[in-house]
Amino acid sequence: MSVEDQIKDIVAKIIHVDKDIITREGSFKEMKADSLDIVQALVAVEEAFDIEIPDEEAQKFQNFGDFVSYVEKQVEKKGEG
Amino acid sequence: MLLKRKVHVAVDAMGGDYAPGEIVKGALWAAQKSDVEITLVGSSQMVGKELSGLGGVDGLPIHVVDAKDSVGEHDSPAVVIRRKSNSSIAVGAKLVKQGKVDGLVSAGSTGASLVSAVQFIGMLDGMSRPAIAAPLGGFAHDVLLMDAGANVDCKPYQLLSFAVAGAVCAEKILRIPNPTIALLSTGAEESKGSEAVRESYQLFKDSGLNFIGNIEGHDILSGRANVVICDGLVGNILLKFYESIGGYAKDWIKRKLKRQPLLKAMTEFFFSRLFPIAQVSYEGEDEAGGLLWGINGIVRIGHGASRAENVVHAINSVKNAVEADIVGSLKAELGKLKQQGKL
Repeated sequence: MSVEDQIKDIVAKIIHVDKDIITREGSFKEMKADSLDIVQALVAVEEAFDIEIPDEEAQKFQNFGDFVSYVEKQVEKKGEG
Repeated sequence: MLLKRKVHVAVDAMGGDYAPGEIVKGALWAAQKSDVEITLVGSSQMVGKELSGLGGVDGLPIHVVDAKDSVGEHDSPAVVIRRKSNSSIAVGAKLVKQGKVDGLVSAGSTGASLVSAVQFIGMLDGMSRPAIAAPLGGFAHDVLLMDAGANVDCKPYQLLSFAVAGAVCAEKILRIPNPTIALLSTGAEESKGSEAVRESYQLFKDSGLNFIGNIEGHDILSGRANVVICDGLVGNILLKFYESIGGYAKDWIKRKLKRQPLLKAMTEFFFSRLFPIAQVSYEGEDEAGGLLWGINGIVRIGHGASRAENVVHAINSVKNAVEADIVGSLKAELGKLKQQGKL
């Protein structure tokens, strides 16, 4: 399963939405996620991929795609290390 | 539920405006008077100092669990789960999750308590967010408000889950059989209210709960509905307004009797000593105020300004909630609705 699909699974479960409505262009706000949903999603993704997402980076995410791209880069870096 | 041992309550020693002093004192009093076992969670050095100052804990069922961090009122709740998972509130919640204690009391930041409960203990299946029940007491003994402030924006299925929790609270804590449930709205008609309330109406109607429709503000104190459902924004504003009524009523009476000193003195005695009207709208707090409903464990949020006696109170309400098995009852009720595909 791709990183994106894994993240979709995590987010869908936390926000209680169908996985199919999550697109790279969509924002958490559009998915009707509240602040606790977002924090839970960040923590769950950090744990799932054993990475850290600093607050200042998380604040830059404009949409789901930004979130996925950041995680993909971190996972790639980890693999190289 | 009869427990063969003492109910064991974790107390966040570092949460609250008067922590750790008043919190530790309240926990000590509870251990002395309330037949409970206490675990104080916080800086062991600070808690130990407070306990020594109070004469120690010789023979009392009090333990201390060290927590390196604490959460300030200005910390974002998100910080607790992302960066302060060793804070007193987080450690307390983990003790509940691990089954080492039966419940948790915190007078610290409401947001931090809520996110810790959700993250470290988890929600019951069928509830996505915890809600705060507020029995109104005083003017409306058989009425409780839900949600009283945990969730500002609520989706219809969340309001339905709050109704299930409210019904359990009314039955188990207020001992009201088959409680009536209503949505708080701007009119009795199904078409009135916000989008969330309008959408909820049908869900409530089909739920099998004892739903009596919408009620308006003037109907809350009538007791027609035992469980009044609204989002946390409306609930919190309403609760604080309600809590202020007694004090203002007393002032109003005093003003009216300004030129009649004898009657004024008699009334002052009457409403201060015999019927303390300023406190009337706080009576409900004694019963289930501050319990977080929907968490897979018992968590009780106290006022930030809690003093020792409030801490004793909070500990007692956790004890009552454990003995009433509110989590087991709620789990069963949610399970029924889930099975019927209604939640």
